[in-house]
Amino acid sequence: MATEGVEKTSEDAPAAGKLCTRYDLEKETELRFEVEAGEAAEQVELELLTGMAEVFGSELNRNKKYTFGPGSKIAVFTWQGCSVNLFGKPEAAYVSKDTPMLLYLNTHAALEQMRKQAERDNERGPRVMVVGPADVGKSTVCRLLLSYAVRVGRRPTLVELDVGQSGVSVPGTVSALCIERPADVEEGFSVQAPLVYHFGSTTPGTNIKLYNKLTSCLAEVFSQRCEVNRKASVGGCIINTCGWVKGSGYQALVHCASAFQVDVVLVLDHERLYNELKRDLPHFVRVVLLPKSGGVVERSKECRRETRDEKIREYFYGFRGVSFYPFSFEVRFSDVRIYKIGAPSIPDSCLPLGMSQDDTQLKLVPVTPGRDLTYHVLSVSSAEDGEEGVRKGIVESPVCGFIVVTNVDTQTQVMKVLSPAPRPLPRHTLLIMDIRFMDMK
Amino acid sequence: MADQNKTDTAGKLYNEILSPSELFAARSRSHKIPVRGQKDFFPNDSDEQRQRLEQSLNEHWSLVSEERVERLGNLVKGIWIPSDQIVELQSPAGKFWQTMGFSANAKQCLLPEEALYLMECGNLQVFYRDLPLSIQDGYERFLSSKTISLQQYQVFGHLKRLGYVVNRFNPSSEPSPYMRQLNLPQSRDSAGRQLKRKRSTSPTLSSSHTKARESHTERMEEDECSHEGEKKSTQASPETPGVSTATTRSADEGKGRNWWMTDVLPEPGHRSDHSLSSGSSRWDFRSIVFPDLGSREQLSSCLASPDPSLLPEALAVGACDFALWRQRINLRKVNMSSKDWKREEDKLRRGWDVNKDEEVRRCRNWTEYMELMSRREAKRKGRPAHLWNREVTPLHDPREPISTGELLEKISVIKPTNLLEGASRLKGGDEWRICFNVYQADTVADFKKSNPGKPYARMCVCSFDGPVPDLRAIKLLTFQSGDIPVVFAVVDYGDISFYTFKDFQLPLDVFP
Repeated sequence: MATEGVEKTSEDAPAAGKLCTRYDLEKETELRFEVEAGEAAEQVELELLTGMAEVFGSELNRNKKYTFGPGSKIAVFTWQGCSVNLFGKPEAAYVSKDTPMLLYLNTHAALEQMRKQAERDNERGPRVMVVGPADVGKSTVCRLLLSYAVRVGRRPTLVELDVGQSGVSVPGTVSALCIERPADVEEGFSVQAPLVYHFGSTTPGTNIKLYNKLTSCLAEVFSQRCEVNRKASVGGCIINTCGWVKGSGYQALVHCASAFQVDVVLVLDHERLYNELKRDLPHFVRVVLLPKSGGVVERSKECRRETRDEKIREYFYGFRGVSFYPFSFEVRFSDVRIYKIGAPSIPDSCLPLGMSQDDTQLKLVPVTPGRDLTYHVLSVSSAEDGEEGVRKGIVESPVCGFIVVTNVDTQTQVMKVLSPAPRPLPRHTLLIMDIRFMDMK
Repeated sequence: MADQNKTDTAGKLYNEILSPSELFAARSRSHKIPVRGQKDFFPNDSDEQRQRLEQSLNEHWSLVSEERVERLGNLVKGIWIPSDQIVELQSPAGKFWQTMGFSANAKQCLLPEEALYLMECGNLQVFYRDLPLSIQDGYERFLSSKTISLQQYQVFGHLKRLGYVVNRFNPSSEPSPYMRQLNLPQSRDSAGRQLKRKRSTSPTLSSSHTKARESHTERMEEDECSHEGEKKSTQASPETPGVSTATTRSADEGKGRNWWMTDVLPEPGHRSDHSLSSGSSRWDFRSIVFPDLGSREQLSSCLASPDPSLLPEALAVGACDFALWRQRINLRKVNMSSKDWKREEDKLRRGWDVNKDEEVRRCRNWTEYMELMSRREAKRKGRPAHLWNREVTPLHDPREPISTGELLEKISVIKPTNLLEGASRLKGGDEWRICFNVYQADTVADFKKSNPGKPYARMCVCSFDGPVPDLRAIKLLTFQSGDIPVVFAVVDYGDISFYTFKDFQLPLDVFP
């Protein structure tokens, strides 16, 4: 057990008389703490005093204070032992010896071995899919592996297929991001020029066909990148998936595996899923069962919604809502075309002969702007503004940005939007999401 | 007996002249034929019905037995010539001559059915051996297998009474289908003359004769058909080079496919060679060790510490206690919908595993695996094995684009057919014959026996007791009749019903 030097020295924390707690961690142990959720909650600061420690694969600098906002769930791990100071009052803070970090590190070592071989043989690097049910730490494992990979000089790609809790862009999208430096301890990976596709909903189940289609799109673009960028090819990719592992969700996982031609599947804490994947994926795919960390906490629905909201806010206002200043301007209905992907399903008996229902799921349905458009998040498609022909490509075109409708005036046929960039819109094809965002803060 | 009686009294009867009072009584008699209701035939064993039937019968009897009173001046005299089976008129014919009878050897003659009908109408008195024939005599003598049957006469009489002009049908007068096909203008005159001449040469239209003639015409038609066939073949002959090229092309195709096949065949061999040389994927997972908690092979309870060169900042870590984690893995049941469960159970029971497949095992990477899958998918997609590998296959391959109209035709169980389809190749039978040409009543005024024009219909007489004409018979008769409808007059004792079989197109709902 770590020795807890509980020094309630208010004079040590010059900030605002915060409670300061010192933790001395032994080797291969982990300090876990949660910051209270809610707007009134106090932020918690972390400072590394001695030794070396890392948060999800990103090393901590000594004598630098890291601030964690409300709702953060942090684990500070040390390989060799360290001592840290926590300022503020975390909801729960404890030291655990019981971490699967060694297993994760071994996984990284195996992947690195593969990258080395790929480099030697002029082949492509390992493509890893991380799967598991909700709340087992998939995103964390991805972040960990990516950070380690970057730290040994690789350039892996994060493929974010979790439409509910995207780590890269706003929710309701699938995206790919090239990782060039370890994740920032506070902000996570720096989001520069990600490849984002519009999905429109927070669960793949609403349009599984579209989800699979976008997976294939991402896979293709990634493969193209691998062809031209040797480093990206050797770095491989780490695919983060949804926590939906049954029925169609499982089928989507298998589809993803074949689309990306994955080499390794990491199954987190789900033996059944592990067995299923072993059975349904060809033998040359290595399926690995890993435990989840004891520090993983289950998130409630509200918590998830809040995180989603926070992610959208972060898109417009920057991290912690201080770095960016979005624009608000009016857009005439006549200037834009708004579509929804996926027509409502029709009974088969009403379909023309030989037509299948699948065709409707990728269809673009024009949306007439109305009052109900208010607060919806709209993706600005990068598809060219041409009239015809473009409509076919819209689904497969990446997104160049997002706007939120803040007000609709049906009288003057104008809507007010929140946009990260000033007028005018770069493109005029908008795709509507089910997700809504109220700019309240 | 009765006959003798009649012949005895015939002279008396013939000379009988009625007194004015008798004439008056005869004129004032009701000439109405008692009406019969249809249900009168259905026996219900009641006295009432019996009485009614008796009454009706009596009425009929009295009507039939009633003396027919005609003006002597109205009666045309004729002589029955049994050898020719015709009635030769002795006195000038009446108005009926416009539509009935024919001239032969400068004499006016009537066919037996015409004579009988006129007798019934009270327009004709026929003598045989200088004695007048009663109507009953007429029935007995005129209707025979050599002339026409009673049923045919019943139809004839029925139609005549309704006002139609009815002629015997002469198959040879019909233009052959070949002539029709060539659209030869039918020389009416010649046909008429032909008709006349034939009648004159053989006024006895014995059925054997007609049959012979029919068969002759049929042979003619056949000849024409064969001629047609020849024509067709000669027509086709210029195309034969094309045909032959087509066949050679198909042969080429066949060859091409053969080549292709031979091209493909060694491929699996290649593949197997490959797989023999290097059967595993490019990653050697025996040397690349993943901490896989699920694998049963990884029995070592401790994981050796990884090579520091692989770790960031040359971290050096110790071994990892593996067994501990293995116990902690989550084994909790998954909440699945019953459908998912069922599918899972199914898979488990069948012991389904993608890697049990030999071909899959041989694949070394995704590219090969995907190729295999797409190959199989194509096979499956095109023709689901369970549907296409059997004797009975689906009517249509859904991948083939086809218009809705064509599709409907393709999946139709009963093929549409034309009545005339294949009729020219059918051999004529004896059991069904066209008996009469029927002309409409309103044409009587300008009807010409020499040039009767197109009949309104043609009658084929049959009995309710007999069989219904089969498709072959209908085809034959339709073919014989050309564009004139054939009506089947079905005789049920006294009642006659008319039926026709019409060619019609099934309505198409969808237009391509």
